[in-house]
Amino acid sequence: MRTALIAGIGNVLLGDDGVGPYVLRLLESRYNFDDDLELSDLGTPALDLTHQIVGLRALILIDSVQSDADPGTIFLYRKEDILQTAPAERLDPHSPALSECLMTAEMLGASPEQVVLVGIVGENFEPGRPLSASVAASVEKAIALILHEVEGLGYCVRQKLRPDTPGIWWGESPSPSLHPR
Amino acid sequence: MAKRITIDPITRIEGHLRIDVEVDNYAVSNAWASCTMWRGIEKILRGRDPRDAWLFTQRFCGVCTTVHAMASVRSVEDALKLEIPLNAQYIRNLILIAHALHDHIVHFYQLSALDWVDILQIPKADPAATAKLAESISPWTRNSRNELKAAQDRVNAVAASGQLGIFANGYWGHPAMKLSPEVNLLAFSHYVQALEYQRKALQVVGILGSKTPHIQNLTVGGVANAIDLDSQAALGMDKLEMIRTLLAEVTQFVQQVYLVDVCAVAAMYPDWFKIGSGVKNYLAVPDLPLDSRGSSYDLPGGYIHDGNLGGVKGFQTAADPIFRQSVTEDVMHAYYQGEKPLHPWVGETEPAFTGWDGDQKYSWVKAPRFNGEPAQVGPLAQVLIGYSQGHPLTKKYTDLAIEKIAAIGGPRATPAALHSTLGRHAARAIRACMLAELAQKHWQLLVDNIAKGDYSVHNQPVLPSHEVQGVGTHEAPRGTLSHWIVIKDEKIKNYQAVVPSTWNASPRDKSGAHGPYEASLLHTPLARPEEPLEVLRTVHSFDPCMACACHSFDPTGRKIGVAKIL
Repeated sequence: MRTALIAGIGNVLLGDDGVGPYVLRLLESRYNFDDDLELSDLGTPALDLTHQIVGLRALILIDSVQSDADPGTIFLYRKEDILQTAPAERLDPHSPALSECLMTAEMLGASPEQVVLVGIVGENFEPGRPLSASVAASVEKAIALILHEVEGLGYCVRQKLRPDTPGIWWGESPSPSLHPR
Repeated sequence: MAKRITIDPITRIEGHLRIDVEVDNYAVSNAWASCTMWRGIEKILRGRDPRDAWLFTQRFCGVCTTVHAMASVRSVEDALKLEIPLNAQYIRNLILIAHALHDHIVHFYQLSALDWVDILQIPKADPAATAKLAESISPWTRNSRNELKAAQDRVNAVAASGQLGIFANGYWGHPAMKLSPEVNLLAFSHYVQALEYQRKALQVVGILGSKTPHIQNLTVGGVANAIDLDSQAALGMDKLEMIRTLLAEVTQFVQQVYLVDVCAVAAMYPDWFKIGSGVKNYLAVPDLPLDSRGSSYDLPGGYIHDGNLGGVKGFQTAADPIFRQSVTEDVMHAYYQGEKPLHPWVGETEPAFTGWDGDQKYSWVKAPRFNGEPAQVGPLAQVLIGYSQGHPLTKKYTDLAIEKIAAIGGPRATPAALHSTLGRHAARAIRACMLAELAQKHWQLLVDNIAKGDYSVHNQPVLPSHEVQGVGTHEAPRGTLSHWIVIKDEKIKNYQAVVPSTWNASPRDKSGAHGPYEASLLHTPLARPEEPLEVLRTVHSFDPCMACACHSFDPTGRKIGVAKIL
């Protein structure tokens, strides 16, 4: 029975918008987590995010953020920040859905107790672009922050002896075929 | 003197549609639908292996992931003339049905019901009277006084918190809201229950596709599900039984709640059968194939010109020659280079941004045309095309809906009244009932076929070295979706996705003809132009989702219906 979820949010086809799924794939490849903590690349689920989060104890989201701050800057937002009906700052391209989903979960009385959004300020959202250098440079810091949060929530993290190849299949175009002969 | 009102953005989910209307004497006198985002994801696919394309297209949109995966594998299979094993067809069909049921339920309750339902009336409702009313129109067992009281308490709790939370962006108390407190409460109670049943539909997609939101079981030539009736890991009786139970629960919700609620709204807003018609050319493709070659289908397709139901032209196959030859995309009013409408196989996507100019270019959405004319797609198109061809399942649920609306005290609607805003909602509920019934059928077909000892799920594709082209279609929740592929030297040479919201949200074309959203808004009466609820009702009735129509996201816009009067 899962009690916590780490979710990568964003569109992997749109440059820095894919940083959430990118970080998630790296986490997956390097670490083992408790069985009741799930990792998932959710893409851009809009309102369907509700179904992923109801009944959880803890939720960690990784997403790109639009902000005037320097690209690569990492912001942490807590549940109260996201639930504000008129946040002073835009959280991210999917935030209307994110806040609506959290509010819906609240209304159902099934909202996660702990919510943190690890937001990484993006620079370029063009189709087919790899992560910008500024964003790529923040990836390790984001991972460290997430591991810190996970441990703070009381879940165990164990480094894999030999990391798997990260499942980042959406690399630069044209990549080698995913169907080796 | 006409005033122009801009509504930006309107979808409530990711994506960015902008609507501009000119209002003259409390009615819409002109309209423009546009998309404010650059489109160009197809370019990423050039040079890649065609067998990988579905993984990428599945990411076009986070809401309709499976539909773009399915259309993509079908485009390659069409190009390679590859047949699909029966089991694979049935498994795919079940995924498509479950996804569509989920999507239709989300659309009515979470994305558009609050255009008709006034949340602020709910505290005034009497739960006991509401339960009595509910009992008179539906056998649904979850309309008890207690269940309704619990729903009312949820609204009271949100209201008492001083912030309206998810309900902060509505036109509450608007003069165009007409439902009694009791009907508002009943609909809201189902709004909450709908969350449960859409989740059940998603679970079916997850079991068959091994993951949601991005299914993993597709492959060009079939599916990757291992079938073993005795195994818990593979697709066996355990999982099949789970799927059957989930589908039965969703079916009950769709037939006893969703259809009934739509009929009740229709009965109480009869004027809306006369508003919102617009483009009466309708297009749908056949779907849910019943054999490995794709020569017979459970959902009919075809084309209706100018509302002439008697003159409907049926399509024989999902990639019918008439369909293949008749589609072009016009960019006269879209931010792209080029003058001539192009067929998708030779389609280009070269941007030429100018800024919004209603007389010139004003949208990132291209204007798809069928025989050079705009066409409306979506459940209404499919229902009218099926009904006018005498398709028994379509007739069954359309007639049922018409009866139900009259029984609740509404007008006796004719299929012709379906050319309207309410008609689009009614057709979506009718289609959901059809799909729910077909879910049981395709489940049984799959189980019976496996019982015969057929475990085959995949035919190996062989990529030719010469150039081939194909089209993969799917009658998606929002209408006809087509992916057009050109393959050369085993690589993708060109790829174009002509998506439902591109058909419906299209801008004007070179002849000046409005797209379906635009045409549907003309003459709409507005009680309070500064709160254009009526415009939202009609636009929402199409189920807009611009993420794949323009293939990008815009960070601006947190509220629905940000109306600005210029």
